[in-house]
Amino acid sequence: MGAVLDSLSQPFFRRALLEAVLVGVLAGIVGVHVLLRRLPFFVVAMSHATFPGVVLASILGTSLFLGGSAFGLLVVLALVVLGTQRAVDDTSLIGVLLAGSFALGILLQSARTGGSKELSAFLVGSVLTVTPADLVTTALVGVVLLLGLGLTHKELVLTAFDRGGAAATGYRLRLVDLGLLAAVTVAMVTTIPVVGTLLAVALLTVPALTARLWTDRIPPAMAIAAVVGAGSGVVGLALSATYDIAAGGAIALTTAAAFTASFVLTLPRSHRPRNTPLDSLDDLHGAPGTRGRGQSGV
Amino acid sequence: MLRALVQVLLLAVVGGLVGVHVLLRRLAFVTEALQHTVFPGIVAAFLLGQSLLLGALAAAVSTVVLLVVTTRARRLDQDGVLALLAAAAFALGVVLVSRGRSFQHDLTVLLFGRILTVDDRQLVETAALALVCVVTLVALHKELVLLAFDETAAAALGYRPAVLAVVLNVLVALVVVAAIRSVGSVLVVAFVVTPAAAARSVTRSVGGAMVGAVAFSAVCGWIGLAASYELSVDHGLDLASGATVVAVMTLGFLAAVCVGAAARLVGRWRTASLLAS
Amino acid sequence: MAEPALRLQGLSAAYGRQPVLEGVTGSVDPGGSLALIGPNGAGKSTLIRSILGLVPVVTGTVEVLGTTPERARRDVAYVPQADTLDPAFPVDAFGVVLMGRYRRVGWLRRPGRQDRAVARAALERVGLGSRGGDRFGTLSGGQRQRVLLARAIAQEARLLLLDEPFNGVDSTTTEVVLDVLAQLRSKGVALVMATHDLSIAHLACGDACLLNRHQVAFGPIGQALTADTLKQTYGGTALVLAGGSTIITAS
Repeated sequence: MGAVLDSLSQPFFRRALLEAVLVGVLAGIVGVHVLLRRLPFFVVAMSHATFPGVVLASILGTSLFLGGSAFGLLVVLALVVLGTQRAVDDTSLIGVLLAGSFALGILLQSARTGGSKELSAFLVGSVLTVTPADLVTTALVGVVLLLGLGLTHKELVLTAFDRGGAAATGYRLRLVDLGLLAAVTVAMVTTIPVVGTLLAVALLTVPALTARLWTDRIPPAMAIAAVVGAGSGVVGLALSATYDIAAGGAIALTTAAAFTASFVLTLPRSHRPRNTPLDSLDDLHGAPGTRGRGQSGV
Repeated sequence: MLRALVQVLLLAVVGGLVGVHVLLRRLAFVTEALQHTVFPGIVAAFLLGQSLLLGALAAAVSTVVLLVVTTRARRLDQDGVLALLAAAAFALGVVLVSRGRSFQHDLTVLLFGRILTVDDRQLVETAALALVCVVTLVALHKELVLLAFDETAAAALGYRPAVLAVVLNVLVALVVVAAIRSVGSVLVVAFVVTPAAAARSVTRSVGGAMVGAVAFSAVCGWIGLAASYELSVDHGLDLASGATVVAVMTLGFLAAVCVGAAARLVGRWRTASLLAS
Repeated sequence: MAEPALRLQGLSAAYGRQPVLEGVTGSVDPGGSLALIGPNGAGKSTLIRSILGLVPVVTGTVEVLGTTPERARRDVAYVPQADTLDPAFPVDAFGVVLMGRYRRVGWLRRPGRQDRAVARAALERVGLGSRGGDRFGTLSGGQRQRVLLARAIAQEARLLLLDEPFNGVDSTTTEVVLDVLAQLRSKGVALVMATHDLSIAHLACGDACLLNRHQVAFGPIGQALTADTLKQTYGGTALVLAGGSTIITAS
């Protein structure tokens, strides 16, 4: 506890806290869409895909954020375009592009000497070196993204729930997909300074997953996810200060702990008996619910 | 260099064969998650000075068990759970490494692997794992293919889909463990998914895809190794070998998609002219 | 007389090399209803998707409500089979019905009081007014199918495309759906319904189109649905039961 209080007196730590809270809220809310559309794998892939962009930006001396986002968006485009070819399913396609772009990043990185400190900062986060300019960027990006998501909320939910029905009434699915994937990619890039690229999925999926344990409706889920995201940032940083461990890793582990605790606390609920009468054979077997794309087969 | 080539060929065979099943059952994310969850096992073994292989195996098996247990649970999308396990495990690994002394160096070594410095012992271990995988795949071939295409029929015929699924996941875990020290914790998925994906873009048959995947993987592996060897002679870096192979594979995949798309366009044009006549 | 709600002329569609649908020709008037009959893989879904403009047309034409499928979409409602939707999705029944209003509401705006009233009325119409707050996935199969029908009602569409709406549903649902469809027809809404159930087809539809990758018959149901056409559509032998109008095909 003493270590935390000491750290609080340092401006860099206060900035780190603020950044973690801002990013936690944004990622928590975007994370609900990530789950609704079965995008966790996409997020993992995107976090690897931004890597070459970051390396390029570092070589060219430009903003890592812009470099990462630009390359990430490029990969999103490739994903949507290649997806229309239907050569392989989306899940496998994402796997191919994920590894391919990360390999490109490694090649670019090994073509230059040095820069490995930057590299590990990119991979596992460096929230303790966040600058006031970074904070402003994060806040601005967060406001724009949340505003955009709020304005298009109903279309996003509809296209996640019933793609066929949405296409039938005239929504251009590919455009909506592109827009949401772009938003997720940008949100993901904001998490990189906090938890790094390989753990971005921790903030973008786990708080939303935790929220799903508590509620069956979307608006409360977003609120809970935001709280869990921000809270994990604060607790993770405290743990990092107390035990001298990597901040990004600590924050990610805290989200996992929040999920585990919620899993245990909500166990009694899941055994509540159904209160609807069985009036068709479907109910005896449970509705088949054929899943859409990306469903792995355990 | 020869050892590296043998290693790559072994991985090509086992990765290509398992990869076709990974594709059929959409297990690319499971593979990706496994390469992350194995990471803390390797880190722990590394810090404790134990066999990296054992550390990796222990972590992989635990993951498969956890995944199967939690997936049967409520309303939770499997992808979400995979992401959680991958993130938690990887975070654990990062935290463990950060307690050691040479954080950045150790991290990059553990993440990216070292294919050009593979030794005889590693080769033997890889060969053993590959043998187990191939034997299992050959023995269970028709059951696994049936399971992929029609799970209901498989169950109706008396197979237990859950058991077959676990077996397949364990095979994937073994491949991940075999490949991870050579290729690193992030690129293993390419050795498994990309060759099979390239083969599938060009052929619809399962047997054809298996042959194609192994051939594709072997050829790309050879080209990639040769290229990175040239590079390392010039630049003195062995970091790029696994990445070079993956880069070649990805380009090969893109080429295969173009070939497949062209074939489909020709097919549709031919159908149109047939109907119009 | 107004133009037909749907007009098909020599329609052929293909996904790749193999054509999946050939030579479909016929029309449906406002207030008319067409049963799409045929075995699995015969092209019923493909035909529906062609009417929605979602499948590449190789030859022939599709005219929906006097214009192209793309332009007509706002006034065309698609009712899918309920079990194609994820039962774990966090949306309640009322929310699903409200989705039918989204096109009318437009981007960037929220559904208003009028929209919510229309949605509520639609849910009442299918007998589920009290279940609006329940999560969609907790309803039974038949109830979910009714919610999807309510969504189409709320859309105030002029053409309804239904994919096997009576598949595996309970008798209450069947009654409600037949009643609603009849009422919609009396208001001038046209229906196209893919179905396996020949007796339902007779009850609900005035015309029939028999498909087996190509069109076997298209016309008033009494004329199009005969032992002979059924045999061509389903293969195998046809039996006529004593009592006349019921025909069963065994393969």
